[in-house]
Amino acid sequence: MADMLNLIGYQGWVVPVLLLLPVAGALLVVAAPAPRARSIALAVSLAEFLVSAGLWWSFVPEGGMQFAASIPWMPQWGIAYRVGIDGISLFMVLLTTLTMPLCVLGSWNYITQRERGFYALLLVLLSGILGVFISLDLFLFYVFWEVMLIPMYFLIGIWGGSNRLYASIKFFIYTMVGSLLMLVAILVTAWMVGAATGVLSFSYDHILANASAVGGRAPWLFAAFALAFAIKVPIFPFHTWLPDAHVEAPTAGSVILAGVLLKMGTYGFLRFAIPFFPDVAFSPAVTTIAVVLAVVGIIYGALVAMVQPDIKKLVAYSSVSHLGFVMLGIWAATLQSVQGALMVMINHGLSTGALFFLIGMLYERRHTRDIAAFGGIARVVPVFSLIFTLVSLSSIGLPGLNGFVGEFLVLLGSFGRFPWATGIATTGVIFAAAYLLWALQRIIFNKLDKPENESLTDLTPRELAVLAPLLAGIVWLGLYPAPVLRRMEPTSRQFVESVQHAIPQGAQAVAAPVNEGHP
Amino acid sequence: MSPIDTTSPLGVTLALLPEVVLSLTALGVLLVNAWRHETAADSRLAGWLSLAGVGASLVALAWLAGTASDTAGIPQMVALDGFRYVGNCIFLLAAAATILLSLDYLEREEIRGPEYYTLILLATAGMMLLGGANDLIMVFLGLEVMSVAAYVLAAYDRRSPFSAEAGLKYFLIGAFASGFLLYGIALVYGSTGTTNLVMAGTFFETGELSVMAALGLCLLLIGFLFKVSVVPFHMWAPDVYDGAPTPVTGLMATGIKAAGFLALTRLLFVTFPANAELWQPVLGILAILTMVAGNLMALAQRTVKRMLAYSSVAHAGYILAAVWSGTRLGAGAVLAYLLAYSLTSLAAFGLLGALGRGGERDLTADDLAGLARARPWTAAAFSVVLLSLLGFPGTFGFIGKWMILSSLVVAGQWLIPVVLVLASAVSAGYYLPVIMAMYMKPAPAGAGDAPRLPRATVVVVAVIVAALLVIGVWPAPLLSGTLNVASSLFERAFQ
Repeated sequence: MADMLNLIGYQGWVVPVLLLLPVAGALLVVAAPAPRARSIALAVSLAEFLVSAGLWWSFVPEGGMQFAASIPWMPQWGIAYRVGIDGISLFMVLLTTLTMPLCVLGSWNYITQRERGFYALLLVLLSGILGVFISLDLFLFYVFWEVMLIPMYFLIGIWGGSNRLYASIKFFIYTMVGSLLMLVAILVTAWMVGAATGVLSFSYDHILANASAVGGRAPWLFAAFALAFAIKVPIFPFHTWLPDAHVEAPTAGSVILAGVLLKMGTYGFLRFAIPFFPDVAFSPAVTTIAVVLAVVGIIYGALVAMVQPDIKKLVAYSSVSHLGFVMLGIWAATLQSVQGALMVMINHGLSTGALFFLIGMLYERRHTRDIAAFGGIARVVPVFSLIFTLVSLSSIGLPGLNGFVGEFLVLLGSFGRFPWATGIATTGVIFAAAYLLWALQRIIFNKLDKPENESLTDLTPRELAVLAPLLAGIVWLGLYPAPVLRRMEPTSRQFVESVQHAIPQGAQAVAAPVNEGHP
Repeated sequence: MSPIDTTSPLGVTLALLPEVVLSLTALGVLLVNAWRHETAADSRLAGWLSLAGVGASLVALAWLAGTASDTAGIPQMVALDGFRYVGNCIFLLAAAATILLSLDYLEREEIRGPEYYTLILLATAGMMLLGGANDLIMVFLGLEVMSVAAYVLAAYDRRSPFSAEAGLKYFLIGAFASGFLLYGIALVYGSTGTTNLVMAGTFFETGELSVMAALGLCLLLIGFLFKVSVVPFHMWAPDVYDGAPTPVTGLMATGIKAAGFLALTRLLFVTFPANAELWQPVLGILAILTMVAGNLMALAQRTVKRMLAYSSVAHAGYILAAVWSGTRLGAGAVLAYLLAYSLTSLAAFGLLGALGRGGERDLTADDLAGLARARPWTAAAFSVVLLSLLGFPGTFGFIGKWMILSSLVVAGQWLIPVVLVLASAVSAGYYLPVIMAMYMKPAPAGAGDAPRLPRATVVVVAVIVAALLVIGVWPAPLLSGTLNVASSLFERAFQ
């Protein structure tokens, strides 16, 4: 397969095509008659997925940054269109391109007004997200990071629920505060590096290699980067925009938010904040704060999820909990924990994406998301119930399904460095079981005591087509994650090694045996 | 032999050709009006003639910029450098846009009197003299020519009490500011014996300032800061911007503000560069105050026009921050941001004037609800304009902010950039609700059709929006251009 792809010069054109195809598609959608919009969007997003699928074979795990390109943009400032894909961004790209056609298909009947705008924005959003994951120039990264706000803002604000205006503006301003401070940090970092090396450049590699030039400013710069990413993840206590945005967004918006957008935050930590300033990130004070906030997020998210009467809000809060595991894994900085964190990022995208789709399907039938409005629907909609149960179990982390792999690796890798925190985090898995199984019981099982529920229709073939790829991923990653782990291993190893010097020695000694015990 | 020889009368005339062409056109239009001033068609004729004059002045400007690279003699009253040419370009573009926007506005509002266009041309000529002034006397003359025309323009809608209030307020405060400026000029002259900016600059080169000169600088600063509406000298701005006819507001927020800032930049960078430790703290504190106060007050406004008026105060704060830096990059940032802000504001006030249908003073964001359905292109254009004001990536506004931030960061400053970005985040709180109303709220029941934009407005807005997007995506030529032009401030003519 890789040879065949090389034959058609895949490495050279894949990235620009991935970035431009959705934009071209969006223009096509706007120009087309409204009833055609969804078909065109589906075709474009499927084509995008097929193009990106080649990355899986063409990617060389040990090859570092691949598919790279650099075209000058503002040469006098050292700003260029610099892109590349490594073991971290590969899966984020694939997750994004997989999610998008499903979102289009999932919105097929739900979006009935202003279809052209909706699908065009989805496609623009796709370009923006991919841009965030593959830019290797800090200016370019910032532009994509901000630009993708606009389509999301409109998706929530136009097609969202009753409280959509509040949710959309809150989402926008929260993100903007963080990212604007990050813009200042990017500028300061680039200028200080430029002053020290004599080369002004916003290139990721250049800044990474000379980041030590920032000297005493490092804590402030790290704080600015970290704030932008922490709001996006979101880390407790910056999470309050998330339940609003998730609940008010249309199904496709929730799926993208949970499945992909939140990962931009953790990706930012892995790619920028920590590698640039490892000494700050792993200083005892920052480590303590990060780990405590991660664990608080895990427990708090789970506890708040447990008491939600609205199923969509429940899933939204569960995201806070899951992303806490990612943060814990990143800060433990062992090979397993980092790989685990990456796995949780992928798994959360699959499981939570599927959950939001399922909730959306339920909402389309009953126009309510109140858990209390359901009960006993397993008898009426068996296929739906089966899938809902399976996906919930995957989200809980049942061995054999994908959720288990990631969280287990994170806990395993983190235990050596943070035994206490990891111990507490483990209870988060139990809480997850509690809130999801309880919700499952109240929705699917119990007595079928509401007459409205007796006439529910089961999943249509279209809806099955939306869920099938996600289910396949859930089962596949649960049973045989090795191909994925193999592709992300060299990059994760490189990340761990590059920050190892910054980790206090005592903690490293504890981590070492764990490393050897589980190669 | 260069045609521009500042020792001969002809050479001086040629060196001032854009201003001369514009002033002559103003007189010509006035003469035409003496015979034809009764019908709406006469008013339109005056408008088109004025537009032709602005075009001719632009051509003259292009010729001058191309020829003036080798001049004989010393430019004494008005500078011959890129900084002046780019400034003039901003003023002429603002004037052209204002004239085009006024054509239909005046007709719709039934504001009679074709002298309106003469006043716009005179105000523009004043801006050009002020922005290019190389001598304190010329600074004062330019300022007065510009301001007197603007006082009348602000009060031009005779039937509106708010317009009269605007004119009166602007006049009183303007006279006050001119007084400060004049005293400042006198004190600087008293301590140096010259009113020429460059020669006075050589006098202050040592970095030592007598008490008299320091007081002069202080009064000059106050005079300028009144004109560009920096907190705490901004009190007049919202009422004047709010009450004046909307196209005039556009001109005041862009051309007049730009002229003030360009003259201030030239004064500080050419005459007082060695005394930066004296004026930098003042400018820094005022910039922070202006950004914070301007944005917070804009947040509290109910009507779109008043919101834009206060946001104009906030933008003055951003530009003042760029002036603070005192560097070549800072001067480039001033130019770039003034260009970005002027274009954006002209489009914003143009759209507001066209959408408001006379009641634009009372137009709130909610009155625009549902506009995206009724007039998708108008709503899209207004959104781009608002996003550019917000400084969102992909628009010219972002490039301007980026340059300001860079100039501050390079100067080793971190507090002002942080305040600047946080203030920008606040501004999202009042720009976004307008977009929100247009796209996310249903049209109010019983509302009539949204007004269709007049053709001239469509042209202005379309050109500006295209420029905002193109420069936002491909800013490289603009960046090097403004930086090159900014260098011209740092080449002393007498050294």
